[in-house]
Amino acid sequence: MRTDIASTLHWQQHEPALDAGRAPVLLVHGFASSTALNWEATGWVRDLTAAGRRVLTVDLLGHGESSAPLETDVYAPSRLRAAVLEVLALAGIRVREAGNPATGVDLVGYSLGSRLAWELAAERPDLINRAVLGGMSAEDPLADFDLDAADRFLADASAIAHASTASLMTLMQLAPGANAPALLRLVAAIKAERFEPGASVPARPLLFVTGDRDVLATGTTQLAALAGGSEVLWLPARTHTNAVSSRAFKQAAIEFLGR
Amino acid sequence: MAEISFPLPDLGEGLLEATVLEWLVKVGDQVERNQPFVEVETTKSSVELPSPIAGIVLTLHGEPGDVVLVDRPLITFAVADDSAGIVGTVPQEAAPKRRVRLSVVLDED
Amino acid sequence: MSETLELVRETPLLQLSMQQAINRALGEILEHDDRALIFGEDVGVLGGVFRVTDGLQQRFGANRVFDTPLAESGILGTAIGLAMAGFHPIPEVQFDGFAYPAVNQIITQLARMNYRSRGRLPMPVTLRVPSFGGIRAPEHHGESLESLFAHVPGLKVVSPSNPQQAYHLLKHAASMPDPVIFMEPKARYWNKAAVDLADDQDSISLEGSVIARPGKHATLVAWGAMVSRCLQVAELAAEDGIELEVLDLRWLKPIDEAGLAASVSRTRRAIVVHEGPHTAGLGAEVAALVSQSCFDTLRAPVERVTGFDVPYPSGDLEDEYIPNIDRILFGVQRVLEYRRG
Repeated sequence: MRTDIASTLHWQQHEPALDAGRAPVLLVHGFASSTALNWEATGWVRDLTAAGRRVLTVDLLGHGESSAPLETDVYAPSRLRAAVLEVLALAGIRVREAGNPATGVDLVGYSLGSRLAWELAAERPDLINRAVLGGMSAEDPLADFDLDAADRFLADASAIAHASTASLMTLMQLAPGANAPALLRLVAAIKAERFEPGASVPARPLLFVTGDRDVLATGTTQLAALAGGSEVLWLPARTHTNAVSSRAFKQAAIEFLGR
Repeated sequence: MAEISFPLPDLGEGLLEATVLEWLVKVGDQVERNQPFVEVETTKSSVELPSPIAGIVLTLHGEPGDVVLVDRPLITFAVADDSAGIVGTVPQEAAPKRRVRLSVVLDED
Repeated sequence: MSETLELVRETPLLQLSMQQAINRALGEILEHDDRALIFGEDVGVLGGVFRVTDGLQQRFGANRVFDTPLAESGILGTAIGLAMAGFHPIPEVQFDGFAYPAVNQIITQLARMNYRSRGRLPMPVTLRVPSFGGIRAPEHHGESLESLFAHVPGLKVVSPSNPQQAYHLLKHAASMPDPVIFMEPKARYWNKAAVDLADDQDSISLEGSVIARPGKHATLVAWGAMVSRCLQVAELAAEDGIELEVLDLRWLKPIDEAGLAASVSRTRRAIVVHEGPHTAGLGAEVAALVSQSCFDTLRAPVERVTGFDVPYPSGDLEDEYIPNIDRILFGVQRVLEYRRG
């Protein structure tokens, strides 16, 4: 299905075998990832539908099967969130009603997707029931990305001096199907619209899940403190790359969203 | 019983190895076809691998943290001798079902 | 003395699946014929993807039961060379659709070496091919090659429909001086039935067709896995008062013209059922033979219920492709209601 929102966004609904009568779960993938990589190959869609949850997935603009325009403004995080909300409207998500667990929507985000989920939960407490925020950073790992060096690298393979820029660039080169020129526009848009966790704090129940060897997702403790009463799960020996497929992560998310 | 081993599949883009993160099954478990049996990580992502067949786990080739090479054995199953081969499934014997009834006047001469 | 022997002789009647029956036949062939060799992809260490050659390498050693590279042209070329050197090869092509790379060897060498050498180089090769569809397998694993091979002079083609026939026809094929394409209906590999192991040539016919079920209103002509389906159809038709005869053709080259004519001249109607595509399928040959031998007694044109003229589909569509009970019943209905005029 493609939304009219620039008729460019690829989103899907995955029906459970046996509907548990709970609100759907929207999955929001990370930077340079996709629904297929972040949620399907890792078993998330299967485990959630097996738990009786209807699952919504969306490929963010510039990712997966969505289109990847080469302009910067369309990638502004505020516009990515607006697109996600439009998907929720198209999927028939209703505003939360007290005592009706089938209304509203639950969110699971990873990395950049967690940033968007945090902001969505803060902006739309009438819509979002609960959110699981995986591999989330208090500061944008993309904010100090050296765009000029990346552009030069793409043009003539010049070496990138800045370490985290170089490693993100490697990630973009390695990730199957990643569209590096489009992703650099997204980086530019994120630099212009930085994450400010304190600006609006979700009041909905949150579960933070982070690998204890994740060097990109810094600030989990700080974010959890900011959003009072939220829960934290540390995944032993997991990194930013391999935390997402962890069975403990999925089981904790399913349990948390089932409450 | 017969033993069938499966190698680490090519996970794409020319990668030659992967790291075992966590076995989702243990020796002696009955595994169904398409049931995830291991979580592995490559340099770019981590994935669960579904079992290509149903069988009982005989051997897990590697501990969490071990690097396994593409095309080297990853898991060995014991399968029943009358299960299908490498491809396909055993046809299920079911009572014949019909929708068509014969209706003719036989004018035998 | 001979009476005593008769008394202690056990009746060798066993419940075997077709894969077990073929395995047993192969074991006996290797045991009694030291020039027999079995080779193909995965037939040795693994024992065959369908377990048909299970245990044979352990029993007879890797010189007589051996794995080959994944190259069907090479498998058949090896068989031809071994046959020229006096061996009795029983190669396996793992799946019907993998026979295509070997078609050149089969047609241009295997089938005509005897002819070309004026009988000095017979080709006692039995090529086993797990054949036809019905197991939800991917492309190249569900094809029907009988009309292709039946068209080639010099080849014999046979397909058993049950474990008993598989056991005896395979042993018979392996004893022949000619190349035989032995098409094993893989959808029937797992079905068990009684097998009489006695090599009693009087009680077990090895040539021609057999009547799998007698009937009087029409003859269903079938082979391989379609025989059991036609038997189901005959059972259902009996509920409607129609008695169908099921003729298991077995030998697809040469076709048992006399057996076919005898059955249809009694029932006066014929429906031929096969999995392969319609056009130029073996059903056309059957229809032509019946028209020629039974033209005066036929009450209706011969009906063909077959696969479609499309490549064999993926597993989730094969129930739509392979003749099912209703399509066969429709064919029967058309033949029964046909009136000259």
